[in-house]
Amino acid sequence: MALLERVRQSEFLGRDFLVWLWFKSETNGGEFDLGELGRIELRFGRKIKLQAEGDRATETVTCAGETPHMKEARFALTVDKKVTEAEITLTIGKDLWSFVLDSKWMNLKSLKTPKVMQDKNDDPEGLFYEKVFLIEKAISIVNALYFSYIKLRVSPQWSSQERPHLIRWIREGR
Amino acid sequence: MSIILGSISLTRFSVEGPLPDHHMEEFPERIARYAFRKLHEDSSDERAVGWVNIMDMLDSQFAAKEFFKDPYIAMSWRVDERKIPGKALKLHLREAEAEIKRAENVQYLSKARLQEIKERVRLQLLKRSIPNSSAYAMVWHLPLGVVIFGSVSSRLCDEFTEFFFKTFNLRLHTVFPYSLAHECLEDSGIQTDLLDDLHPLSFETEGW
Repeated sequence: MALLERVRQSEFLGRDFLVWLWFKSETNGGEFDLGELGRIELRFGRKIKLQAEGDRATETVTCAGETPHMKEARFALTVDKKVTEAEITLTIGKDLWSFVLDSKWMNLKSLKTPKVMQDKNDDPEGLFYEKVFLIEKAISIVNALYFSYIKLRVSPQWSSQERPHLIRWIREGR
Repeated sequence: MSIILGSISLTRFSVEGPLPDHHMEEFPERIARYAFRKLHEDSSDERAVGWVNIMDMLDSQFAAKEFFKDPYIAMSWRVDERKIPGKALKLHLREAEAEIKRAENVQYLSKARLQEIKERVRLQLLKRSIPNSSAYAMVWHLPLGVVIFGSVSSRLCDEFTEFFFKTFNLRLHTVFPYSLAHECLEDSGIQTDLLDDLHPLSFETEGW
């Protein structure tokens, strides 16, 4: 299958992942145990972009609000709108990362890492390594979360447990 | 310093195939060949692209092979572009046409003549315009074969992958959800064809 066709046909994997991640972040207090990467806290931010596609022209809804529960955005899921971008914050101890995760390419947009401690004049190489380490950490965390989702999605546990819980969560948000 | 200062938007790529056997000797030559070269003031080129030091976009010499930052190759891809504002082009074109009509005492100019004047005016303005410079970080983890590129624009990403291929003779593939999922299942020893049985989640029929 040509690459672009494969990308188009499997686009839903990224979109469904963002819905699942949103659901998990709200139902487990935002805490995720990622094994070697440690325990992290993940929160959805104030902006979520949803899109409906099909026979109708593409419709995009951007929800921005103070409340983390974002009822309006959760309601949009029930009319088959899919999450295409979400603002996310990650916390490990005192360190905080924020970025917008996009469902199509799993790109991290506007990624802000914790402040780099190295001094630019004293050790420019150290500055580079520290910054790249912080960027790679965010990528590794996103990968680890996505891998948890994919393993669950292809397991029997998805239909028997996870999907019903996800549907209940959407219903509660109406 | 774009990767160091402030926020960054990034696209991930995987590098196809293994590294060449003598890449440590080969890559510096290749990078030097495709290092950034400024647009000459007299040139009519609209664009110049090439590699610069990731810590200093004014340095394209790499005197100390600064791109090797074990285990990475890290550089910025600099893009300089000269653009003529549409309004300015129209105005200068009208002026030039009027001047020629006056000088030659004619009322109309042929289509070919108008085209020739347009090209001349465009080149004159291009030489006077100051290029706009941008630098996009590129961090390549050599053992993992993963590249982080500091832009999410599909036009730039396409151009970048072409430039990367020209430089290193290695193809880049954009990471996307299916490729990541495939990698995850393969690494975990789970059948990858399970992915092909998945369908998009739909909540519309849940009888809300």
